[in-house]
Amino acid sequence: MAAPALVEATGLARSYRLGESVVPAVRGVSLAIAAGDFVALKGPSGSGKTTLLNLLGLLDRPDSGVVRVEGRDGETLSEDERSDLRRDRFGFVFQTFNLIPVLSAEENVAYPMALTGASAAVRRERSQQLLASVGLADKLAVRPDLLSGGQRQRVAIARALANGPSLVFADEPTANLDSRTAEDILDLMRAINAERGVAFLFATHDALVVSRARRVVTLHDGAVVSDVAA
Amino acid sequence: MSAFALACRNLVRQRRRSILMIAVVTFGFAAFALAGGFIAQSFEGLKEGTIKSVGDLQVVDRRAVGKAEETTLEFGLPDAKRARAVVASDPGVASVLPRIDFVGLATTGSKSVPFLGVGVDPGPEAAATFAPELIVAGRYLQGDGGDDVVLGTGLAAALNVKPGQRVTMLATTPDGSLNAVDGIVAGLADVRIKELNDRYVAAGVGLVSRLLQSGETVSKLVVFLKPGSNESRTADAIAKSIEAAGYPVVVRHWKELATFYEQVKLLYIGIFGFVGAVLVVIVILSAAIVMTMAVAERTREVGTLRAIGTRPSGILRMFLVEGVVIALSGCVAGTVSLWSVFYRSAPEALPPAPSE
Repeated sequence: MAAPALVEATGLARSYRLGESVVPAVRGVSLAIAAGDFVALKGPSGSGKTTLLNLLGLLDRPDSGVVRVEGRDGETLSEDERSDLRRDRFGFVFQTFNLIPVLSAEENVAYPMALTGASAAVRRERSQQLLASVGLADKLAVRPDLLSGGQRQRVAIARALANGPSLVFADEPTANLDSRTAEDILDLMRAINAERGVAFLFATHDALVVSRARRVVTLHDGAVVSDVAA
Repeated sequence: MSAFALACRNLVRQRRRSILMIAVVTFGFAAFALAGGFIAQSFEGLKEGTIKSVGDLQVVDRRAVGKAEETTLEFGLPDAKRARAVVASDPGVASVLPRIDFVGLATTGSKSVPFLGVGVDPGPEAAATFAPELIVAGRYLQGDGGDDVVLGTGLAAALNVKPGQRVTMLATTPDGSLNAVDGIVAGLADVRIKELNDRYVAAGVGLVSRLLQSGETVSKLVVFLKPGSNESRTADAIAKSIEAAGYPVVVRHWKELATFYEQVKLLYIGIFGFVGAVLVVIVILSAAIVMTMAVAERTREVGTLRAIGTRPSGILRMFLVEGVVIALSGCVAGTVSLWSVFYRSAPEALPPAPSE
């Protein structure tokens, strides 16, 4: 029996207005991500990977179609409820790391926990554990601008795991890293996937990421053209 | 990490913009506080000047309200000494000054000039009003005034008299006959309004009573209150006690007598209100532009915060706290600037407004 879907999209469509014309970014996509998945969403630039990731992660709303998160229809949720769902069930890792520049590594990881009302002691202890687990135990007080690209992405991964998510969305997580560092990051994500059961969904056109995925979904012109287990 | 600490770190990070914003608020606050202080002091000066001229209250015959006398002391208060004692007995009253308003001709023999005169009790008048400060040559009246007179500088020039010289005053008495007395010019006064300077005469009530043959009758009693006295309560008490003493009078407040006070106040409020509104709009627009730029430049940060679960209200709160920190910093800096730069340049009190 297949694992129940964490996120399930049915007939998703999203288009953008560009001047006088309307450009479809995602067209009728149906997709399900299950617990423990390690999925690469690949396709050329402009194929709709990031748009689909934003829709599945409740960062954007579709023109039509439904996104269900653990059975709850995202469209019926208020903005606050969608925010809370992202905070509690999702993690996000971005191509440009997107750490908060005025916070130290530890504070960046602790920030999502502060949104849940966790005490300072709990935040400190858990963020130190998470940073240690990504190999940055000695960088707790360091600001992002003093970290290397790989270190910043590790902090971003630790932050994504702060509230114990079921699913981490990673948008081109290796695009700004050299190949060696990219491999290290992917190893780390695989380990987290294996040890914690956290599902990962990558938007990528990096062959390395695709090669490490257990499932590859290919997008072309906003539509899924293949969905295969690797 | 508290919202305040996060706001402070963000402001330090965007140092140049924060300084610019704080400078805008500082300037706006300082300008607004300075203008507000200037207005408040102007109004206070105007009020004090007016009260020093007309008193806090005036006790006048009921018939004098809204009417001009056709003959001298037509609406006078007889037996002024008793009336003055009744008014002065109120615990809120500091001093009661008799005044006689009269008109006539001043002459040195070769030339005659019409004048507007006022008979006063020199000692209390000097203590309670600006009168001695208006003297530009000679001295103000002393004692009971004797035969001394003070002339406006314009009138003295027209008569070509100086302190120490004699001047004859002619006036019509209440019964319609003509009378004259000689006075000695004690001093010259600049009453700050040219038209009045050309006609101004002040003399002791004794000399004026002799001129007008008016005995103990005066035009009005000018009442000055003790500091902290309640004006309305004291006015009511005086009205009751003086009516009980048999005087058909009314007690008028200084605002009723300072005919231009409210107009001047409205004019000032209009001018400063307009300038203030322009200032507020400039400051708000400047702040809005800088804040909009700050938000626009932090779109990615906002997107990240939203992605990791910050509610829209949390984002709003973050920028609001930054705005509040900027506003408070600007206000503190503005206050310090005002104290260090503008404190010594407080405006002088305005001259008293024209009054009845």
